[in-house]
Amino acid sequence: MDAILEVKDLTKQYDGFTLDHVSFTVPGGCIMGLIGENGAGKSTTIKAILDLIHKDEGKVTFWGKDLAQAPEMKEDIGVVFDGISFYETLTPARVGRILSEAYKNWDDNLYKEYLQRFSLPVDKEIKGLSKGMKAKLSIAAALGHRPKFLILDEATSGLDPVMRDDMLDVFLEFVQDEEHSILMSSHITTDLEKVADYITFIHQGQMMFCKSKDELRYRYGVVRCGAAVFGQMDSADVLAWRKEAYQWDVLVPDKEKARRLYKNAVVDDATIDDILLLYVKGERSK
Amino acid sequence: MKSLVLKDLYNIVHNVKSMLFILIVWAVGFVPTSGTGGYLVMCTILCSMMTVTTFTFDDMAGWTPYALVMPVTRREIVLAKYAVLAVFCTAGSLFGLLVGGIGGFAMGEYTVGLQAFAELAALALVSWAVAFAMGSVAIPLVYRFGAERARVLLLVSFLIPAALCAAVYGVLWAAGVPVSEEMVMALFCASPLLALAWGAAMYRAACGIFAKTEC
Repeated sequence: MDAILEVKDLTKQYDGFTLDHVSFTVPGGCIMGLIGENGAGKSTTIKAILDLIHKDEGKVTFWGKDLAQAPEMKEDIGVVFDGISFYETLTPARVGRILSEAYKNWDDNLYKEYLQRFSLPVDKEIKGLSKGMKAKLSIAAALGHRPKFLILDEATSGLDPVMRDDMLDVFLEFVQDEEHSILMSSHITTDLEKVADYITFIHQGQMMFCKSKDELRYRYGVVRCGAAVFGQMDSADVLAWRKEAYQWDVLVPDKEKARRLYKNAVVDDATIDDILLLYVKGERSK
Repeated sequence: MKSLVLKDLYNIVHNVKSMLFILIVWAVGFVPTSGTGGYLVMCTILCSMMTVTTFTFDDMAGWTPYALVMPVTRREIVLAKYAVLAVFCTAGSLFGLLVGGIGGFAMGEYTVGLQAFAELAALALVSWAVAFAMGSVAIPLVYRFGAERARVLLLVSFLIPAALCAAVYGVLWAAGVPVSEEMVMALFCASPLLALAWGAAMYRAACGIFAKTEC
């Protein structure tokens, strides 16, 4: 499957923070989840991808082309930032009028359909909308020009579970077409567990991994054991570990193997939250 | 670019009522004391400064990163601000012309006639030019220092064109060129062109600053 977005060795240096050689590829028809703790570099990655900040190193291509060299590709990219991006006195109707003048492919009927589907009042000022409604408006605005690629930077944070579920349905519908994809950064890892096909994990500016969600779900595990079992464990089988009050939690890349080897230990499926927590708060060398 | 201008006009429309109120109060206060010319210039400058307000709105909404992911270039984003400035200057000078003119006739500063209309039209052109020149400096200042700090630096944007005008006058005087009324009128009429040339230079400066800005 052809890559829609290809990020290679993306590097950006600030005082006290470096986004260090981040690489991943988003193929067509899939959702890539971008996870990491606050300040890990998710938003910096997205900004560098969108040319909002200058890259120190690395290359970003959409459909094989550099965005700076082919700005017309912006017609095919929809972006939702954390926050509405429109001044509070505008109304959804006026947002539509503004964007219709910006995008050649703007589909006013589609935009209005989304407004209706999301139960958004057309003529109500943004300042009168709830946080959830603002997020929905941002998503409707991003979809109104029929993009082929969506970039969502914490777009669903702050929404209640029902609203988030509605949004996730919209995203899943969007990627039904194999030519469409989504790059989605989120703190809410349960959302990514529901919809993402791949997960890229960034920690302190470093890319820890980029793997398919199924590999994480079906292969990764957390061994919960005592000191004796932990002492027996081969360091090659340990991705990260953390000493809890009464046990060791150990992230392993092959839970079936761990179940065979350590019969006295409990081996749980690893959620994305478990993986993130063990990488961020745990030790990585045994 | 049309979308960017439209966005600023929609954003500012909420301030129109309070702006009209201020301009009318000013008319009552300034036309009898400073004359129609003074009122016209102040009225146009005040309207032109709404351009800086649009930057404040953009900052509050986080608009600029969003604009940059739309199919517009950074140069178009800057150019749109100059287009908005021109719209505000035009609105301010037309309003000042109308209200100041009425006040001027009512106060007996002018008597109805072709000459009065020509003088008022020339004043409107000059006020447009002064406001546009000031606003032209304000835009790169905002891109460099942000909307709030740029407001403080707006004095600079007034002093630079004023100093340039004084310098031109000084050169003419030193060269012994007599400044006649006809010459002043010609300068008044040409002032929008001079302001546009000044604006073009400031536009280039603003583009240079904005090109390096990270959002």
